[in-house]
Amino acid sequence: MNVGIVVLAITGLLAIGLYALLVARNLIKVFVALQILVKGAMLAMLAAGQIAGKAQVGESMALTVIVADTIVAVVGLALAVQLRRHFGTLDVRAFSTLKR
Amino acid sequence: MVPILIALIIGLPWLGALLVWLAGDRRPGLQHGLAAGFAAAAGAAALALLLVYRQGGSLTFAMGPAFGEFSFAPDGLGIFLSIIAAVVGALAVVFSVDYMRGSPQLGRYYAMVLFFIGAMAGLVLTTNLLLMFFFWEITALCSYALISFYNDDPKAVAGGMKALIMTQLGGVGLLLGAALSYAYLGSFDLAVFLAQAGGLPADVLQVLAFGFLAAAAAKSAQFPFQTWLPDAMEAPTPVSALIHAATMVNAGVYLLARFYPAFAGVPYWRESVMLVGVLSALLAAMMALVAVDLKRVLAYSTVSQLGYMVYAVGAGGVFASQFHLLSHSLFKALLFLAAGAVIHSLGTRDMREMGDVRRVMPITRTVFVIGAAALAGLPFLNGFWSKELVLEAGLKHGPLWMYAAMLFTAGLTALYTFRCVWMVFYGPPKERQHAHEAGRWMRAALYPLAFGALTTWLLAGPFSTLLGETLPFHEIHPEPTQAFLIEVLAAPATWLALGVVALGLLAWQLRAHLALISEPLQDLGRLAGASFGFEALNRLIVRSVQSAAEDLRGLQTGLLNWNILGIVAALVIVLLVAALGA
Amino acid sequence: MFVHGLIVAALLICAVQAVRSKRLLHSALWLAGTSALTALMIYLLGAPEVAVIELSVGAGLVTVLFVFAINIAGEEAIPIQSIVPRPLAWFLMLSSIVMLMWMNRDLVGLNVDVAQVLQLDFKTVMWENRILDVLLQVGLIFSGVLGVLGLLAETHPSALKEGGQ
Repeated sequence: MNVGIVVLAITGLLAIGLYALLVARNLIKVFVALQILVKGAMLAMLAAGQIAGKAQVGESMALTVIVADTIVAVVGLALAVQLRRHFGTLDVRAFSTLKR
Repeated sequence: MVPILIALIIGLPWLGALLVWLAGDRRPGLQHGLAAGFAAAAGAAALALLLVYRQGGSLTFAMGPAFGEFSFAPDGLGIFLSIIAAVVGALAVVFSVDYMRGSPQLGRYYAMVLFFIGAMAGLVLTTNLLLMFFFWEITALCSYALISFYNDDPKAVAGGMKALIMTQLGGVGLLLGAALSYAYLGSFDLAVFLAQAGGLPADVLQVLAFGFLAAAAAKSAQFPFQTWLPDAMEAPTPVSALIHAATMVNAGVYLLARFYPAFAGVPYWRESVMLVGVLSALLAAMMALVAVDLKRVLAYSTVSQLGYMVYAVGAGGVFASQFHLLSHSLFKALLFLAAGAVIHSLGTRDMREMGDVRRVMPITRTVFVIGAAALAGLPFLNGFWSKELVLEAGLKHGPLWMYAAMLFTAGLTALYTFRCVWMVFYGPPKERQHAHEAGRWMRAALYPLAFGALTTWLLAGPFSTLLGETLPFHEIHPEPTQAFLIEVLAAPATWLALGVVALGLLAWQLRAHLALISEPLQDLGRLAGASFGFEALNRLIVRSVQSAAEDLRGLQTGLLNWNILGIVAALVIVLLVAALGA
Repeated sequence: MFVHGLIVAALLICAVQAVRSKRLLHSALWLAGTSALTALMIYLLGAPEVAVIELSVGAGLVTVLFVFAINIAGEEAIPIQSIVPRPLAWFLMLSSIVMLMWMNRDLVGLNVDVAQVLQLDFKTVMWENRILDVLLQVGLIFSGVLGVLGLLAETHPSALKEGGQ
């Protein structure tokens, strides 16, 4: 397995996730971007485990990350549903009720 | 045994705070009981520490190479201040049972008071500079929360904000000290700092020394930060007694005493400390003389007495300053609590509306007079002995003009104290609704304090042993009590001071005849009433901080993408630092 | 090698499409595709257990969740004009990626032999050495469930009371 290809995948996923996170206006798109970002991070952990020689540690960390990020998606989507009900829209700009 | 006791002293009040808050405001009886119980238990643990401290040992949590060890060690300064915090705290809580009866949001009140007691004990017992800053900040938080306890009253809220901003500015000095110590000496430990302070480069040590002085001055309401303390009197009176007389404001003096060996060699530091003390003492005494709010008089007198302690530290008399701290905590707490009883009973804080209260509140009058006599420095009360020791230390090691100023201030102290006592308890009676003697729990809190004010001077010998044995860097020589008493009685300076005090007392009695002198002093009085312009300075600081905060509000848009932008920008900066550093 | 490159390319295309789709339902489907391809990559990296979990959770559970939420929340046309100016977003993203790649530049030539690396049993590592991670996951799951219950439960009484606002 050529590590360079994996690094390319990781970097690509991180880049796409980060950019989308900065630019998305629909809340559900934000969660999609988060998922992509976390997939990149997970691949990075696995690859790091392989390179350092402690593959199992990398795997268990990746597993933890999968669980954590799934929970984030679950709670986040429940939140999104509630926000839709409360504000009537999923546009991120509408969610700020701070005084300008 | 020692680690357990230390953990109890800090942990019991915090546990009590949590339980009182959980008990809920619908069960005030339970809240009163829990608070008093936990505070008393902490007081007992602190006193028990006095019995076993010789065993040594400390409470230590190893935190890895980054933070060193979080440790608490029982040395003399720590033990005696934690005893004061816990015992006076317990008495203030007992007093609050009567004072705060029927008040809403008791849970918030007791939780904050208990949280404060634990934090204060932690502050003085810890030997890690970072932890010291952490506890310093907790005490500032509790002080702010309690000053603005009546949060519907805009004066209380403004007082709280002012206290918070002024003391936080000082806290920066402490953090700077901790950071510099770690950078140059590689450790946050206090003993390491005191031992190797000479090894720091001279300008760094100077920055540290004056930074700590600023932190101490801000915390103890010394010149030029003295105006936040009178405004903090909006707090409920037991809070004023505990936080703003007996414990938190002592943290500044504690800081100076603790770090004295490290900074004594810095050029002009000792002189600056003494100057700060003298100016605070003198200016505050003058402001107390013209104040008409009972609690303000006591607040100014606190500033003034703290000035004495700071002056003593600057002169090198660390023992004298700590002894005066002990006396002052007791008699000032006594005065505040007795004043609280009067205010609670009469419903007003203005002394012009009081008068001849002794008829209705004889017991309160007696304890108040005891406290006032200790404050004025009348013989055979603890204030007399400690103040004389302070003045002697100042005479031996400080310039003569400062000694003269402090002597004059002692006379002023006697004058304003007597004025206060007379205006409240004696003098012609005024119109008032039903006044009553202090309640049962109030009296239960007042008696031990009065007893302490009468007797703690007998502890001078054991106290010096405690400090001398456990503070290797301070070079305090333990002596038996008689040695101190004889030293004070034999010194001519003592009789001079007594003469000045007597003059002060007489001046009030003969004030009608002194009208000739008091005329030109009216302008000075008006200046004192406006606190010599420092109020304007402090208000400027508070206003500029608040307007800066308003301007920064534009950054908080509440937009998700904007916040993510902040996170990603920080990531870029961190990556840049990592990429360049590696 | 060529196959690996193809998989990575497909992965990145799926990710880009997930982010760029106009319709949310399509985004969710592209996300499922991304998860499946990631699972394949993980398998090729030599961690079959994690790959299975990623496939079932990422491509299965999360996709179902997204579709469910999108159905409830409804599709909506939101203007493309983003709050953060796009050039700034590009700049930040590119600078962080470039710095990351620069810091990892030594790794590009490495070739890791997958089969040789196995030392300890995965089970042992997971359940003994990293037991804290397992406890963390359990804690997370509990808090997630409680959070969702808390979030979704309160609509029923208030919806009945206020008529759905």
